[in-house]
Amino acid sequence: MLYVELLIQGLIYGCMYAMIAVGLTLVYGLLRILHVAHAGLFALGGYLGLLLTNATGSLLLSMPLAAGLVGLLGMVVYRLCYQPILDRPPYVALIASIGLFIAMEELFRLIFGPYGLTYTHAPLQQLFRFSGVTLRAVDLAIVVGSVSLLGSLAWLAKNTRTGIAWRATVDDPQMAGSFGISVLKVRYLNFFIGSALAGIGGIFISLLSNLVEPTMGGVPSYKALAIIVLGGLGNVGGTLIASLVLGVVEAFGTIFIGDYLDRDAIAFGFLILVLMIRPQGLFARS
Amino acid sequence: MLIYELSLATVVCINIIQAIGLNLITGYCGQISLGHAAFYGIGAYTTALMAKAGFPGPVNLMAAMLLSGSVGAVVGLTSLRVREDFLAITTMGVGFLFLGIVRQQERFLGGELGISSIPSFGLGKPGFFGLTLILVILTAAFSLYLKKTWMGFAFEAVADDEDTARVLSVNVSAYKLVAFALGTAMAGLAGGLYCYFARFIVPDDFGFITSISVLSMVAVGGIGSVYGVILGTVLLTLMPDFFRFISDYKLFVYGALLFAVMRFAPEGLAGLPALVSAKVARTGGAP
Amino acid sequence: MKRRIEVLMLACCLVAWLINPAMAADTIKIGFHAPLTGFAASDGKSATEGATLAVKQINAAGGVLGNPLELVVYDDEAKPAQAIPIANKLIGQDKVVVGISGSYSGATRSAAGIFQEAKIPYISAYGIHPDITRAGEYVFRTSFLGHIQGKAGAKLLGEMMGKKKVVTITLQNDFGQSLAAGFEEMAPTYGIAIVGAYQYSIKDRQFGAIVAKVKADNPEAIYASGYYFTAGPLVNQLRAAGVTCPIIGQEGYDSQKFIEIAGPAAEGVIITTSLDRDSEVPETADFIREFEAQAGFKADMVAASGHTAVMVAADAIRRAGSTDSDKVLAAMKTTDLKVSTGTIRFNALGEVMKAVQVQVVKDGNWHHYAVIDDPELLAPPEK
Repeated sequence: MLYVELLIQGLIYGCMYAMIAVGLTLVYGLLRILHVAHAGLFALGGYLGLLLTNATGSLLLSMPLAAGLVGLLGMVVYRLCYQPILDRPPYVALIASIGLFIAMEELFRLIFGPYGLTYTHAPLQQLFRFSGVTLRAVDLAIVVGSVSLLGSLAWLAKNTRTGIAWRATVDDPQMAGSFGISVLKVRYLNFFIGSALAGIGGIFISLLSNLVEPTMGGVPSYKALAIIVLGGLGNVGGTLIASLVLGVVEAFGTIFIGDYLDRDAIAFGFLILVLMIRPQGLFARS
Repeated sequence: MLIYELSLATVVCINIIQAIGLNLITGYCGQISLGHAAFYGIGAYTTALMAKAGFPGPVNLMAAMLLSGSVGAVVGLTSLRVREDFLAITTMGVGFLFLGIVRQQERFLGGELGISSIPSFGLGKPGFFGLTLILVILTAAFSLYLKKTWMGFAFEAVADDEDTARVLSVNVSAYKLVAFALGTAMAGLAGGLYCYFARFIVPDDFGFITSISVLSMVAVGGIGSVYGVILGTVLLTLMPDFFRFISDYKLFVYGALLFAVMRFAPEGLAGLPALVSAKVARTGGAP
Repeated sequence: MKRRIEVLMLACCLVAWLINPAMAADTIKIGFHAPLTGFAASDGKSATEGATLAVKQINAAGGVLGNPLELVVYDDEAKPAQAIPIANKLIGQDKVVVGISGSYSGATRSAAGIFQEAKIPYISAYGIHPDITRAGEYVFRTSFLGHIQGKAGAKLLGEMMGKKKVVTITLQNDFGQSLAAGFEEMAPTYGIAIVGAYQYSIKDRQFGAIVAKVKADNPEAIYASGYYFTAGPLVNQLRAAGVTCPIIGQEGYDSQKFIEIAGPAAEGVIITTSLDRDSEVPETADFIREFEAQAGFKADMVAASGHTAVMVAADAIRRAGSTDSDKVLAAMKTTDLKVSTGTIRFNALGEVMKAVQVQVVKDGNWHHYAVIDDPELLAPPEK
């Protein structure tokens, strides 16, 4: 029974990681940028979702609204921050992104205060029991929400014109450009979708812990990087599986080797182990 | 009595040594490392343990360099194995692994409580500052000398284009390893000096944020340029102090500036003169 | 080359010195460093608000030795590497009479060494690292050692509540580690069997895995260390998973924010701390009321600790009748002062000796539960 519960908890961790990491790996696939400030957008999603829910009283209304706003801001980040320095070596965008992330974290603190915010009436707290396993509605919402969102994204990428154009661009931007696809539009779309997903991820986390705080992007800012490397940088399917695998490894690791390594060290130890055996990540792009 | 200025200048010197070390790896050899603080930490912990065991300061600093450099060379081996994009994340992982191990090692490394009551180096505060200053000059001079040697050219070739370097029969692997060993040894030296400066160390001193700050110093100063890196380190280390008057906005301004430098002067401060003269030439030429 | 660096250094020192603002002449300065930006900013803010309130109250009552107090506040981001220059600045430039840390252990321990060397009295408001006071005789602490509070927790659970089968959930930092050490030391004495021990990082907010294991362990009570921002989600998730046994926390929980985050799950949580919300003692009651009026939010343990440290410093200066550091030191050693967190007396090492307050969450507020006043159990180390 314990193992089943740990597995379930690991998958919940994994779903949250997936929501953040997919956007990051999309950006990497297209631009070869390690977009650390993505975690800032994730935190912004949490803040907006919570503030809008507290103001309107409806999570269902606030979630798409917050996701849309975060998505738009993601496009702005691309236009103002990354586009002008795309031809520079990768560390330039990396440091710029880190600077942006620090500034965002501090801005949250300056505007919303250092103590963090909570829901006036925390939604989705109902309990469900399945033969001994107790889950909150929010746990279920996270799993169902992320699976359906990421699933429909995969479907769209396969079956719509835009989706096909997008995949073509990720595979070979030059070729796609010469076939008349607007590479720029694809990039904007990319940032919009990736950031919106991260924003929803932020809302999920805020529901789980009933807390948004300035530093909530801290852990995702580096752990999501580990996940996209595990998944084979730029590979969306691989990233999804890597998220779930890492979630489960962490859930079991915290209980069974927590006395020797902390959660971060378990995650990164696993990463290094995998890379030593498979230097191209769990799932390499061909 | 300028004890405040003295302590600040000592911190600056320690950071310069750390940054010059990272510059060897990232600037000279083109390998991005996000785990430099781990080697800084190895140096500090080595020094702390040996100093408490009663060994003299200079011996401890040597040991710190040696151990950090050796571990650095081993980590350098991974840089031969993984793709270039992966290296940044792998080194970051090394940093977290180091921290995770130190945190849980209560018996030997003090765990979360760290190591305190480390004996003094025995030079007094001005004397110790003098020592760090001399070491800064030595590392900077060594770094400048290296650039002019055959090895420096080889580093540059590896950084520019690994495959071409290989065709020119440069032993890419060996040079990467050497860069890692030298750079991390300098981090170890800086860690040893920090240990004597603070005489108290905790795991959090050597975390991811420290790695990021050092990389920022190198990048803001201008990757590859020793003078630029020194300037960048001095500026970023003293920045919290410069901005004390805007206390609440201090870290916000730090982040914004980091971003602005990369966005508008991607070559860092070292590239600024060229950037300005190019701008002047452009606007000067137009009517 | 050498000259260039030297000139650079000199220029930097000069600039740093020049931008330092001019000081008023006739105030008595108390140095204060706390994390006002970065990850620990919330505690830094509480501590600073508490300290500011104390200065305000003292000055409203006529100051000390006829002079108003001035609090010189610097932000250390809770980083040891920043706390050292700041300590030197407080001593060398600001010429403070007493230094106070409103910061975490790392920064406090580093600064303590500097104050000891300069022979300026220094008080740690809530840094719990055992080695802080061992820096020397000039260093004092007005809060409990983690170790002592852990022992008090064991007595509370094993003796007062009669729970014998306990799970510990430990925050992985100096605070959690010392609490766990104290708790584990006294557990056998009170007949407590620890049936499971888990650790989490200060960055964790999702505790699903630990909660699942605790449920399987089925303990009679849980001893969980943490701060309000980790304990809030932890308690919430434990209760949601159907864990109903008592949860015992410590002063890290001690904030209204904890109750806000954990929501209804917070009801019945018991903590060991040093601020009694239902106290009729005027020092405590006045502090709680005036703090809320000044800061706009309810007082927490950290705020009370900042307040306490300033009160102790001012009292020592007053009794010394001088700002001479040796006289202040001598006066501070004989402190016997009633403040917001109880009656402060120091032992030979500079550790505080006072009773532990036990509080419980009832109807969305902290309330009195018990007092542990066991001088033998709570005796801090003498060296």
